[in-house]
Amino acid sequence: MTGGRLDAQVRDLLHRALHGYRDNPRATELLRHQLARYDQPLRVAVVGGWRSGKSTLLNALMGEEVAPVDGSAFAWYEDGPQPDATGYSTSHPPQRLAVVRSGTGMRVDLTGWRAGELRDIVVRWPARSLRQVTLLDTPAVGVADEQATDPVLDRVLRESDALLYLTRDARGADLRILGATREGVVGQAAPVHTIMVLSRVDESGGGRVDALLGARQLARRALRNPQVDALCATVVPCSGLLGLAGRVLGETEFAALAALARVPRAELEPYLLSAERFARGEPPAGLTAATRGALLERLGVVGIRLATTLVRTGCDNRVALAAELVRRSGLGELRESLNRLFVDRRQVLKARSALTAVEAVLRDEPGPATADLLAALEQLLAGAHEFAESRLLAALRDGRLGFDAELAAEARRLVGGDGDEPAARLGIAPDATLAWLWETAAEARWRWRERADDPALALPQRRGAQVVARSCEGLLADLATAHAR
Amino acid sequence: MAGIWLDALDDIARTCQEHGRGDLLQAVRLKRAHLLDPTLTVLVVGEPNQGKSQLVNAIVNAPVCPVGDGTTTVLPTVLRHAEVASATVVQTPLPGPGTPPAADPPAVQRTPVPTDQIAAGVGGSTGRLPGGGPAYIEIALPRALLGAGVVLVDMPGGGDVATVGAGTPVAALTRADTVLLVTDSTRDLSVNELNMLLHLTRSHSNVAVVQTKTDLVPDWRAVADRNRRHLADAGVPAPLIPVSAALRLHAAATDDHTLNAESGFPALIALLRRHLAAKPDTLARAAVVLTARTVVEQLAAPLRAELTDHRSAEESAPMARLHAAQREVDELRRCATRWQNTLTDEMADLISDIEHDLRDRTRQILRMVDEAFETADPLVAWDAVAQWLEQSLVEAAEANRQWLVQRCDWIARRVAASFARYGHGSLPPWPLTASVGYGAPIPELERPNVDRFTVGQKVFTGMKGSYGGLLMFGLALTLAGMPMINPISIGAGALFGGKSIRDEGKQLLRRRQATVKAAVQRHVDDFFIQVSKDSRDAARRAQRVLRDHFAALTDELQTAIIESLRSAKEAADTDAAARERRQREIQQRMIRLAELYEQAQQVTAARPAPLAPLA
Repeated sequence: MTGGRLDAQVRDLLHRALHGYRDNPRATELLRHQLARYDQPLRVAVVGGWRSGKSTLLNALMGEEVAPVDGSAFAWYEDGPQPDATGYSTSHPPQRLAVVRSGTGMRVDLTGWRAGELRDIVVRWPARSLRQVTLLDTPAVGVADEQATDPVLDRVLRESDALLYLTRDARGADLRILGATREGVVGQAAPVHTIMVLSRVDESGGGRVDALLGARQLARRALRNPQVDALCATVVPCSGLLGLAGRVLGETEFAALAALARVPRAELEPYLLSAERFARGEPPAGLTAATRGALLERLGVVGIRLATTLVRTGCDNRVALAAELVRRSGLGELRESLNRLFVDRRQVLKARSALTAVEAVLRDEPGPATADLLAALEQLLAGAHEFAESRLLAALRDGRLGFDAELAAEARRLVGGDGDEPAARLGIAPDATLAWLWETAAEARWRWRERADDPALALPQRRGAQVVARSCEGLLADLATAHAR
Repeated sequence: MAGIWLDALDDIARTCQEHGRGDLLQAVRLKRAHLLDPTLTVLVVGEPNQGKSQLVNAIVNAPVCPVGDGTTTVLPTVLRHAEVASATVVQTPLPGPGTPPAADPPAVQRTPVPTDQIAAGVGGSTGRLPGGGPAYIEIALPRALLGAGVVLVDMPGGGDVATVGAGTPVAALTRADTVLLVTDSTRDLSVNELNMLLHLTRSHSNVAVVQTKTDLVPDWRAVADRNRRHLADAGVPAPLIPVSAALRLHAAATDDHTLNAESGFPALIALLRRHLAAKPDTLARAAVVLTARTVVEQLAAPLRAELTDHRSAEESAPMARLHAAQREVDELRRCATRWQNTLTDEMADLISDIEHDLRDRTRQILRMVDEAFETADPLVAWDAVAQWLEQSLVEAAEANRQWLVQRCDWIARRVAASFARYGHGSLPPWPLTASVGYGAPIPELERPNVDRFTVGQKVFTGMKGSYGGLLMFGLALTLAGMPMINPISIGAGALFGGKSIRDEGKQLLRRRQATVKAAVQRHVDDFFIQVSKDSRDAARRAQRVLRDHFAALTDELQTAIIESLRSAKEAADTDAAARERRQREIQQRMIRLAELYEQAQQVTAARPAPLAPLA
């Protein structure tokens, strides 16, 4: 919305910090790195426990099989003109790695490297989805105990602007790990930069076909838990496996599925009871063992059950089946949330990481300029309307303002809790005319301004209403510039 | 045949009693009762969402425990045998503080739950009384396996070992004969689960790992192999049984025996039956050994700690007191030297300072007197000067004495400061001035003998002087023809006479002044010698008094400290003896514990188990 000012302020603060720490080479390097990073695409890290489906989800998001590269290294996926991979290790200079293209993606040749030797692998891959976002595949995050922080998570928090956190059940240890993301002055004031993804939902609930629907309920229930809600912007169920299958489904695979679907259900069912039965047995459709293995690999036994059912119930061509699989996997919602909450708000998220980095430098390397810079940092945090909005969002989340549910929802929408676009903020159709947007925004502004001046309300509520009204004014200003253009 | 292990268990119980460990005794008694109970309690534990409830359902072939997304088992579920299916929420009231938890079965509240509400009950939302204690849900089912004596307990998922092993209020349930740890096939055993297994194998003799959801994963065999390797690496002697609850339930629905075999459940049920059959003998023996180990560890730990404590820490309280007393003696010795030195040095300084001060004062007085008699005539001024002199000398002596007293007092304080750490009454209780008196009276100033210039002397001197002048001028004028006695010669004679009278007078005055000065000098010298002798004596007396006082104080302190040293030494000696005794006692106890453990070991060794319990 008014990202320009925040942007200038953050840059200014970074330059001031650079000036203040010009005698400190370590701090200077860190700050320069931040300044350079500030102009790069948003970095979204895919984080999660061991075998939580990080690489599969990343592949599903990109629509191609490019992950995993190396289980113990950070893999960066950037936009580039042609496929290319560079390995960074602790002991050797950066080195080009051989990339082998396959039908549905690529594989990086890691022969000659010991496990754990590579620290970072930067993969350049021509993909539209990487235009605005750099994706980051991370090693598994361990179970955090009370004191020690996980080194992987530590690095992720330093290097990325936003997180997709994969969990199977949104409980216990996962929440403890995520709690670490909210530390520091900036961490408290800046917006939540985490989307929690309930991963591998196809396998939950005993592998029933409607497991995905159940997962959606589970996500809604998890979001109602204040502990979860405070830590992440939203909870999205997503089956990376089905999503990826939908996005890379080939004709041969569809043909195999269609052949399976033609077999009467009663005849087929015994073979679909378990993965092993499907792979070892001889289903009546006459598929070769290799085809069945490939199908299992691609969809899993639950996916095959779902796909055959879908083919039977009307998705009788590849495109329709692929679309339905993607829809059922929850991938669409995840991408939508990613766009709405991360890409649209990238200014604020990047400002957040830059400020976090500055805060870390100020904390770790006290110097003569520290006090001034800290004051400037706090002033920025307190003054920037974007952060005021994010604080209001947090307050609305834990219900401490005492607005009723309807008002809270409206406030949340208006300050950008559901997306940053004017239409999303105003809660009307994305294709609305400018005049309509203007009318709605003006009306909302009037109502919230009234509320901000209402002496009957408690002070925190009036303050909140003020922030909402200010957001509406910003919207009006934006709409006015749009109109002038 | 049950006798051997029962005896061993009773021995263990007795030892617990000897050691005064009521809690352990309670546990052992419960174990005894539990081992005599023919049912086999099977505890199903594991992390959330691993399919524990589904496993239980599949074992009994009935959808008793709710499964699915987000439905989480909150209450432990106990499955027992009964002819008619029923469900009950059992809730123990919160135990009052201080009462032993399971001394007698506490009054439980049983709330029947309609069968269609079991899901809600397990979710913890039905049938529980508000404010009540922990609860579990008991489900009775007519099943052959349960009828044979197996009791299944489905625990709420929790990664924490503590919730499984610790004395939770449903601890009676957790005293299980067999523990099944459930993990799913989508991933290997986690570090958490391995830790939990290690913990479980310490307290339970029969632990098995059940790998569920084999139907979902094509490569479950590879996962199972890896898991077996993990178990072997971690040193966990637990068998691993891969199962698929979905296949089993499907098999039950379609009555398909091959499918049932494929589900892996027959192996699991066979294991449970084997454990059930082995319970009265093999399992009990193993349990006794485990109990013995736990009890011996529990009993030995404090003893061992005490022993190392004894060995490492020489600084027991009496020993510390002894050392402190020795330090105190040394300190006192140092203190004595210190104060003696201080006193001697200060007194030497004092004497020289006082003498110098006195000399300075008397010299000043002397100088004043000298100046006075430079001009004044002792005949006229003597009385005034003598009076002033007397007064000045007395004042000087007083001032000097004052200073002496102050310095003595200061020295006393200074020396007393050495005794500051001993606190009370270190200053001598007398005022020093009293003992510092004058030895002998100051000698009187004698009036010196001075020559007066009498009238006769004057006449005589005048005559003598005038004679020369008269003669001188008379003779000279006779040459001029004048008579010898003429006015001029008479005038000259008178002039000469007058001059010689004046000269004589001056001379006399000077002589008088010199005499007086000498007299005064002598007097002041006398005075100085007298007074400085007095001061010296006084200082010496003060020194003596101080020395005596502080020496007495030191003696007193020394007696006290030596007394405490002696008592500390005695205490330390007795303490060392007591410690020796205690050490021997602990060693004996340890030996007895080792024997007990040995005996318990023999329970299994005596008759090798026909079935390896953890094959």
